[in-house]
Amino acid sequence: MKRKTFLQFAAPSIILMALLMVIPLGMAIWLGMNYMTYDNINSPQFVGLKNYLDVLGDPRFWQSFRFTALYMAVVIPCQLFLGFAVALTLDQVSKFVRGIYLSLFLLPFIIVPVVGTLMFKQLFEPSGLFTWLYQTIFETKFRYTETSVKTLIILYGIWATTPFALVTYFAGLQTLPIEQLEAASMDGASRWQKIRYIVLPHVRSLTIFILMISLMDAYRVFDSVFVLSEMNPIYKADTMMTYVFQTAVTVQRLDKANAMAVLTVIGIMVILIPNLIQTYRQQIEER
Amino acid sequence: MEKVKSPLGRAFIHLILILFSIYSLIPFYWTFIQSFKNLKDANSRTPKFFFTPTWENYQDLWLRSVPDNGAQIAFFVLLAVVILVCLLLFAEYIPIPNGVIYVFVTLGFISLLAGIPRFVETAKFYDYFINTLIVTVGTVVVSITIGSLAAYSLARYSGILGVVVLVAALGFRALPRLAFVLPYYWIGSATNLLDTHLLIILTLVAVNQPFTIWMLRSFFMEIPKDLEESAMIDGANRLTAFWKVIIPIMWPGIISTALFSLLLAYNEFLLVRILAQTNWTLPVAISRFTGGEDPRHLTLAAASAVSATVPIILVILFFQKNLVKGLAAGAVKG
Repeated sequence: MKRKTFLQFAAPSIILMALLMVIPLGMAIWLGMNYMTYDNINSPQFVGLKNYLDVLGDPRFWQSFRFTALYMAVVIPCQLFLGFAVALTLDQVSKFVRGIYLSLFLLPFIIVPVVGTLMFKQLFEPSGLFTWLYQTIFETKFRYTETSVKTLIILYGIWATTPFALVTYFAGLQTLPIEQLEAASMDGASRWQKIRYIVLPHVRSLTIFILMISLMDAYRVFDSVFVLSEMNPIYKADTMMTYVFQTAVTVQRLDKANAMAVLTVIGIMVILIPNLIQTYRQQIEER
Repeated sequence: MEKVKSPLGRAFIHLILILFSIYSLIPFYWTFIQSFKNLKDANSRTPKFFFTPTWENYQDLWLRSVPDNGAQIAFFVLLAVVILVCLLLFAEYIPIPNGVIYVFVTLGFISLLAGIPRFVETAKFYDYFINTLIVTVGTVVVSITIGSLAAYSLARYSGILGVVVLVAALGFRALPRLAFVLPYYWIGSATNLLDTHLLIILTLVAVNQPFTIWMLRSFFMEIPKDLEESAMIDGANRLTAFWKVIIPIMWPGIISTALFSLLLAYNEFLLVRILAQTNWTLPVAISRFTGGEDPRHLTLAAASAVSATVPIILVILFFQKNLVKGLAAGAVKG
């Protein structure tokens, strides 16, 4: 295909992405350098890097950063482990049963995150099923505290993201190298050895794929935190995204929120640039 | 892997799968039964598993007033939906061209949705539902149209520029939404487009475009080049070849990708929350039922959650194969 034809075909998409992604990003950097609230939205005042420095010196920003990091550090490994374990188990049953289980397991993944969190929360309302169970087992009241709200956010994160890892691993298990497995059986390898030396290396690239996707998604977790913490600062359960949102909507400091959003972009880029470079090399080789 | 043979092992495997099913489903089950309880049952501190079900939460949510002949209207609406769904399901066995049936069913659904407010006084929630449909369908149509053109050319063009576009798109997929959404608010208020469907659809398309391109491209890569080349030798230009030769064999891939775009648009909360003040979609409307002082919020939240989930489950039931295939395709190539 010639370059001209390529450009003709791709033009609508590229133009839209340039207009609504590249320009807004530049705009966010610029808006972050101004003093701007909803009152002077059409006449921002230039203040240079002040907002960026303010954000970096804001303890609540670092608090939200720490909670986001904790969320990622707990949710991603649990999701990977649980997804892999259940995928291995699911691989053991007959094709027909698999289909039924798979559609049940996928539900938490396809459901609207806000709605999923709401359903999850129903279990922990004062009249909820789990509140009652908690009370019966521990004989103390279940209360919304900093710890319990943070735990609920993390538990919901695991519940909602595991199906993605599960389905991905399950698809990977369908392409296992059969000869290798048979040879290993002949040599008397145990099931664990086969998982350790054949299955795990086989799904290694999938693990990296899931890791990258869930890293991006966990970094910008918003919906579930919004619903579970009800944006109440007493739980100290802000993630970076909900803190940016609060700064923009509740505090009405659009300038500071933009600066903060730009800083979070820089944060994720630091993690992602090696991956982007690798993808670039890979694509160059493949063409 | 070869199967576990010992009976104890088999029992253990089924036990794990059943436990995991319960774990996946328990919030759905609980919310579902909560949504059919009256306020007293729903707020009972010891959970009630047996109660007299009531429709009142759904009525409160969807209707402003309950008409006298409500049961009849509900019956006819349900009948119409069942007929339309059956037509869709059995379209291939009816001796009328499929296209005609699809157009008829689409028109049927549209007139049904537009007609309901004429017979009963619907509440705000119905408007939010319609908004969601408009935004979702609009996003899917626009993003698949421009996305498949771009993805096709990216699959066939081997210059450096193509790689740069692909990698840039991947980078943009990773970025937090808020970095775009706040400037969108600024653009929206400068162009007076805030609170319109147009702005929400365009921004959703842009935000989802990287993902759409990557996924469609992986499907296009599987199609051998000879196909459109032979058509082009026969005198068709590339656009005709693309439309007449490539698209017809791409349908499964397009449906998989469309399904993911649909989920992304239907699920979007943050973008709509900031760009719309009254023309909300369901996730934003539902988020208002969390907490608050009103005790009715508990059951309304449950009813709204179930209402928003049923359509998506129906869609997934129709297209489950495509969904799993799409996930697997993304995964194996990723």
